[in-house]
Amino acid sequence: MQAAINITPLVDVVLVLLIIFMVMAPQMRKGPDVNLPNTTKPNSQGDERGRILVSIDDSGGLWINDQAVAAEHFDEALRAAVGAEPNPKIVIRGDAKLNFREVREVMVAIEQAGFRGVGLIAKRTGAEGK
Amino acid sequence: MQFNSNDSGSSLQSEINITPLVDVVLVLLIIFMVVVPLLMEGYDVDIPRASADKSAQVAESQLILSIGSATCPILTPPAGEGIPKNCQVTLADQKIPVAELPTRVATILGGRPPEQRALFLAVDDHLNYEAVLRIIDLAKSGVEDLKIEFVAAN
Repeated sequence: MQAAINITPLVDVVLVLLIIFMVMAPQMRKGPDVNLPNTTKPNSQGDERGRILVSIDDSGGLWINDQAVAAEHFDEALRAAVGAEPNPKIVIRGDAKLNFREVREVMVAIEQAGFRGVGLIAKRTGAEGK
Repeated sequence: MQFNSNDSGSSLQSEINITPLVDVVLVLLIIFMVVVPLLMEGYDVDIPRASADKSAQVAESQLILSIGSATCPILTPPAGEGIPKNCQVTLADQKIPVAELPTRVATILGGRPPEQRALFLAVDDHLNYEAVLRIIDLAKSGVEDLKIEFVAAN
């Protein structure tokens, strides 16, 4: 007689639940709804953890790491987000509907806060994503 | 001696045990599902230095690409892929259709060492952001290791 409980179905169910939550979690994030521009061959910008995400939504609202930020406090908020990081990598997630002016103004604001170089985030044509 | 499939205990097990395989594949699947949504793609650019003296930035060897809203009237996100054909850009003071951009950039910058391949972009404020990124994408497809820097538009 087999006295041990058969744990295989339990493991199956737990694994499936784990996968479901892991897939859902990144989509549950607060933050702005940014429709990224589509291009054919964007370069890799790495993992979004470890980057400072500056988002500009389609109405021009600014967000730093999914926190809404008023334009007049952008400088302090950006410096606070960078903290003591010696070599911060800042990326801009701009909405496809924006004018270039709104993106340029944010780039200038980043430069004036003392940072050089940003990544402009795009989405590969045909790839699904947020 | 006869083979007897009912002979329990000494019969060979001929099926491959796939349980470890399934374990490994499931773990790999989970790892990729978690990592892929966090990866980003885009373009590294240098920021226009508002504080710097603009005349000092323009040197003889600098290749300047101007995109004006008069010759390249893309003010809303372009439909589908690519850039509308009616877009003309100015590369090194020459007006060219945007489709010629990769070959022109390759001709001018292809002979330079990679660390000197830089394109300076003067973009009209009214242009659509997606169109600007697509033009950058097009310019970068002409030559490898192209550095992009924005300068102020006239």
